Amino acid sequence: MSARESEMSRRDGSFEREPARRVFASELRECRYQFKDGEDEKSPTFVLLPTGERSNRIFLVGTLTEKTRQGEQNIFYRGRVVDPTGTFFIMAGSYQPEAMQQMAKIETPAFVAVTGKPNLYQKTDGSNLVSVRVESITVVDKETRDIWLLDTATRTLDRIDALTSGTTPDIIKAKEQYPTLDVVTHRRMVYDALAQIKI
Amino acid sequence: MDYSEAIERISRKFKKSGNEINREKVEIKLRRLIEEFGVQPAEAERSVSNELAKEFNIPPASPQGSSGASGATGQKMIADACPGDWVTLEGKVVSLAAPASPAIAPSGIVADESGAIRFVVWTKSNAPKMKEGAWYRIESAVVDEYKNIPNLKVHSGTTITEIDKTDPLIPSPVPVKDLRPGIGSVRAKVIQEWEVTHERMLQSGILGDETGTIKFVIWKELGIEKLVVGSVYSVFYTQVDEFNERLSLNLTGATIMQEEGDLATITNSDAEIRGAIVHIAPGSGIIKRCPVEGCNRALSRQNYCPIHEIQPQFVYDLRIKGWLDDGEKTHNLLLKRDVVEALTGINLDQAKEIAENNPLGMDEVFLQMREKILGRYVACKGRDIENRLLVNSCKRMHFESGDHTKLLNRAGGAS
Repeated sequence: MSARESEMSRRDGSFEREPARRVFASELRECRYQFKDGEDEKSPTFVLLPTGERSNRIFLVGTLTEKTRQGEQNIFYRGRVVDPTGTFFIMAGSYQPEAMQQMAKIETPAFVAVTGKPNLYQKTDGSNLVSVRVESITVVDKETRDIWLLDTATRTLDRIDALTSGTTPDIIKAKEQYPTLDVVTHRRMVYDALAQIKI
Repeated sequence: MDYSEAIERISRKFKKSGNEINREKVEIKLRRLIEEFGVQPAEAERSVSNELAKEFNIPPASPQGSSGASGATGQKMIADACPGDWVTLEGKVVSLAAPASPAIAPSGIVADESGAIRFVVWTKSNAPKMKEGAWYRIESAVVDEYKNIPNLKVHSGTTITEIDKTDPLIPSPVPVKDLRPGIGSVRAKVIQEWEVTHERMLQSGILGDETGTIKFVIWKELGIEKLVVGSVYSVFYTQVDEFNERLSLNLTGATIMQEEGDLATITNSDAEIRGAIVHIAPGSGIIKRCPVEGCNRALSRQNYCPIHEIQPQFVYDLRIKGWLDDGEKTHNLLLKRDVVEALTGINLDQAKEIAENNPLGMDEVFLQMREKILGRYVACKGRDIENRLLVNSCKRMHFESGDHTKLLNRAGGAS
């Protein structure tokens, strides 16, 4: 019955698609905590951003500097997308055939807009890696990159402001998971990113 | 003849009680009753429903069996009349309509202070002729349900007496979001007018007040006039229909009065939403539509319309379905042809050209449009209808150096 209900709610549009958060590469790289919302096999997975918001999906715009094709039977593409603060690691495998074909076509370097799902991995040496599983990727112009920068700066500053006074479960959890988080450093990162746009 | 709507109605009726019907069997039964036995479609639907109800062991909706439980034929207010009840009520005939079938004497709407209900008088009932505007006491009538709308049935066991009452009955309008299937009254503004999709249709569009919006339709009838977009109307005793769990108003036969002044409509009307287009859904780009008047459905690749089957004389159209994301919320978008043309720079003729001269055909249009708008920032204006933004205008956003300066100050200022 519950399956039918969720199907019905999808059909009449009340199903809520997870929004794509705006986050700079250097903040995403700091993620250490990933959780599932609900018990169901299909419950969404979230990474907790250090600035205190859950994220099941992100939207990023940057420069695709590198892409590699890997695998023999299960082909997948990896890529690096650079923003003013660092690097996003993206990948598209055979479960995302559309995204894989889009990635195959793009010549580096290029400005790209990527929608995808962040995932937290533990590397063999014990360090963490956040990789973005691409849902879609398109070549865009520099203006789109610059608008994204403003958009992401705004959203990041909003989160930083909420963090100091807020009491949402995500903020409380973030303070617990990222005890060393320094608000000043994050603010500085946003400023430096903005300063890279030449007026 | 097409039975899918009737089947759908029956299916939904039984889903409520957790039963799944066998659509094929239902269709065979309906077809047999209507085509072989010349039964009226509505009657056939009712009879199949009842048969199924017996099969599923659900007590039937109208007959005497349930009357004992629901308090015999006690006098009721109209608002309290539920399907399955035998009722006695006093009300004013506020509307009379021409009968749809010779077996049926007039139907109309009877109202009291609590509400209104549609009634049907069967010829066999030998009821006196009723006049619009007069009050009657209706004893032992049955409330049943037709298309999810309660209906008062006047049959041979019903006694109707005119009563001496001249109260001017003023229905109180309800907020749009509180409308229920049946008869209702609203005070609302005409927000939008749509292209008429049928020759018998006078007008269709959207009405709204501060609580919500609802589709409306007016069918052509003598002396009935179109509503003016942007004007406010009081609509008394309009029929509220339900289809696919969505409500709409059939204003034909309702009392409509234009009002002075303006009315605040729901805030999301003409809202502007800025964000990035994060997904373009399949079915976007160039599509084929069913040419049958009043249909206009999107056809499958094989030119198949779910209602009118294969349609080789299809009509091309452009549309984009997708998601606009502002980082906090994702909005379902629907862009119509002119908006698509303005945003992508590809017009219908160019799209046809691409579709007809390219090995990928219509897919090529989808891909080209996707390349042009996916991942871009846009500002969309439109109306939020049932969780989907019907976009009237969609423009690419531009870099604002003023915003840049403000953000630099905000980021640097507080540290």
